[in-house]
Amino acid sequence: MAAASGTNDLSSEMELDAFRRLFPLSFHERHLLESIRPDGRPLGRARDTSLSLGAVASANGSALAKIGCTTMLAAIKLEVMTPTVEAPDEGCIAIDFHMPPICSPLIRPGRPAEVAPVISKQLSDTILSSGTIDLKELCLVSGKAAWMAYLDIYCLDADGALFDAALLSAVAAFSHLQIPVVSLNDDGRIVLVSEENGGSMKEKEPVNKEKIKLKMNSQPFSLTCILHKNYILADPISEEESIMETYLTVVLDTNYQLVSLNKPGGPGLASTSSIQDCIALAQKRVKELQQILSEAISDMEVD
Amino acid sequence: MDIERAGGRGANQLRPIDCSRDVLSRAHGSASCSHGETRVLAAVFGPKAGTKKNENPEKACIEVIWKAKTGLIGKIEKEFEMILKRTLQNICLLTVHPNTTTSIVVQVVHDDGSLLPCAIHATCAALVDAGIPLKSLAVSLCCCLNESGQILLDPSKLEEQKMKAFVCLVFPSSVHSITPEESTPATTKSTEQEIITSLTHGIMAVDDYFHCVDQGRAAITLLSNILKKKMRSQSADNSSKAA
Amino acid sequence: MAGKLGAAAATYSPSTGQRRKRPTIQTGSELARPDGRGLHQCRPAFLKTGAVNSASGSAYAEFGNTKVIVSVFGPRESKKAMMYSNAGRLNCNVSYTTFASPVRGQTPETKDLSSMLHKALEGAIILKSFPKTTVDVFALVLESGGSDLPVITSCASLALADAGIMLYDIVASVSVSCIGKNLLIDPVSEEEVHQDGALMITCMPSRNEVTQMTVTGEWSTTKINEAMQLCLDACSKLGKIMRSCLKEAASAPQD
Repeated sequence: MAAASGTNDLSSEMELDAFRRLFPLSFHERHLLESIRPDGRPLGRARDTSLSLGAVASANGSALAKIGCTTMLAAIKLEVMTPTVEAPDEGCIAIDFHMPPICSPLIRPGRPAEVAPVISKQLSDTILSSGTIDLKELCLVSGKAAWMAYLDIYCLDADGALFDAALLSAVAAFSHLQIPVVSLNDDGRIVLVSEENGGSMKEKEPVNKEKIKLKMNSQPFSLTCILHKNYILADPISEEESIMETYLTVVLDTNYQLVSLNKPGGPGLASTSSIQDCIALAQKRVKELQQILSEAISDMEVD
Repeated sequence: MDIERAGGRGANQLRPIDCSRDVLSRAHGSASCSHGETRVLAAVFGPKAGTKKNENPEKACIEVIWKAKTGLIGKIEKEFEMILKRTLQNICLLTVHPNTTTSIVVQVVHDDGSLLPCAIHATCAALVDAGIPLKSLAVSLCCCLNESGQILLDPSKLEEQKMKAFVCLVFPSSVHSITPEESTPATTKSTEQEIITSLTHGIMAVDDYFHCVDQGRAAITLLSNILKKKMRSQSADNSSKAA
Repeated sequence: MAGKLGAAAATYSPSTGQRRKRPTIQTGSELARPDGRGLHQCRPAFLKTGAVNSASGSAYAEFGNTKVIVSVFGPRESKKAMMYSNAGRLNCNVSYTTFASPVRGQTPETKDLSSMLHKALEGAIILKSFPKTTVDVFALVLESGGSDLPVITSCASLALADAGIMLYDIVASVSVSCIGKNLLIDPVSEEEVHQDGALMITCMPSRNEVTQMTVTGEWSTTKINEAMQLCLDACSKLGKIMRSCLKEAASAPQD
């Protein structure tokens, strides 16, 4: 290709940073030829990932997830609701994803990001359809009261693979969630039983005896890959996402069942073999993330 | 073995498809498409000068506005808009009209399952009607999986809700791409239809997903022939009228 | 699903069932603060620059339970509708997370806070150094634990310094609550609820200049003088901490 060779000639004459900004695609493609990415990663490797639980003191469950620079803070607040007639012994989960203006130079206050509602919808689809949380566990008094879990995820720093980081923080927040001790008072309202006055309120039977953790069935984890020509780039940064626009997100649960496979269009096509490769990468990633989550939980219990 | 379906349909049987172009007078291009009871109306305006902020001005920009049958615009509509926009970016020749915006308004008339395929077909027909240059048509199909892994094509709303999982796939209508860049790589597997868009909902085994993809591929040639025929017959009508 | 979400409006947050104690209201010469601090003792502060990688500059501040992130973007192109201006523009925005307050969704009016932040910082920035362009200062309160605005202001000044925006001096801000006869520095939320009066000073410690001062509630002149002195002393101490935080970030090897 004439155009490509023209830029190649220029590359020896100009500074690296200038070349990266002026010809971003050839900059990245020349890295791909060497099977390496500009940040030094091999194509199939995800960035360093860390999790810390209990970051928000005022919430019932919370987690901070970092994948490379992408940072997500998820917090769950429990409120009481009256269950619906169709499902009298089920609670409810409301999931919202926010991108405040601090997270990216592209977002201005008053004008919410276009991707935020889409990621929000995908997160609630994924979490609710994965069956990782049994809504019956959120029931307090059948037909009268159940927990409404408000899960809010804030993107603090947006640098690619937003969905992966958001899902990780959401799953971690649920595994940190503690359901408080409550009892039903005479007015039919649910009240908290605090530890010091627990003795004086003996006449009322608490609905749940002690703080309980939510049981989670096999948790969902995800990996986003960029498809570019014959290359598959796992866990892209935002620069890669903006240059090579075709991506595919695989969500698997811990039994390696497919929870979601999302490839929303884009200029490139996906063949069966490339989808299989992405699923194989996602399977490896699920193992890693499971390990990271269980380490974060055991760290929490030591403290 | 066979599952009972409403209207005595077989598991691999699609609902009747109808598609007509040029249904609105003010839009630059319009189409109405129905899959059984599901019906979608699409209108195309443009290309208009200039692109929106944060879009690449060296390419044509596509804007999709999704109107639900009733109610306010929420997250579901935003997701449909994003999927439709990115799917169209695949089939449109974006470099022909750089620095322009083409607006597409999609109005859901009735939703009885397989909404996205119906909307994609309506939009494609409307783009053809407006004379927007396309690489190929996009052909789309929904499949449902039941507990035993059986696949139902083109599910109705009721079936979508009852089934364990569903998959929605979009393919290009022809294997032979007209852009030189993509036709040059001499790969032997080029007979395999590659996927533009894939969406899934619900838990399934990885193998089941690929079964759905195979089923979808098998149905796609037939589907694209039906659509092409519908569009062609109408242009013949129109030219005869004009003459 | 939609039906379930519709029912969400009717939820409530369970309370402990008994009235909240008013710990700081007990009359007596020495009242105990909820976190066991002395009356004139600030909360331990944790400051860090470079919290958000995609911003030009950013800082994270944690004062007890008050946790704030501030990102600075720019100087960048002003909005199209803006007139030509010789001096740069400053644009501030403060927002709260939904879980910032103990009860979900009860967040304070952020428009006021945004304009207060703007006024507090405006005097310290050399606006002439970036003509025609805008610097955006966006703050997100992750958790609100009292004295939010002073923490936001101090954190924003660190973020501006991190972004390399020219400043006359860093800006430190501290507030004091008056409850009965007592002055409490750096109040927490519970103390703010029961306060009779509040005073906040934002100043540039090394220039000894005040960029913003607000007084609300009932104050006597002697009390105001006492409170101001208290604030200014605390500001200069906070200024030193901020300065050492910036020095640390500058001397740390870049990765």
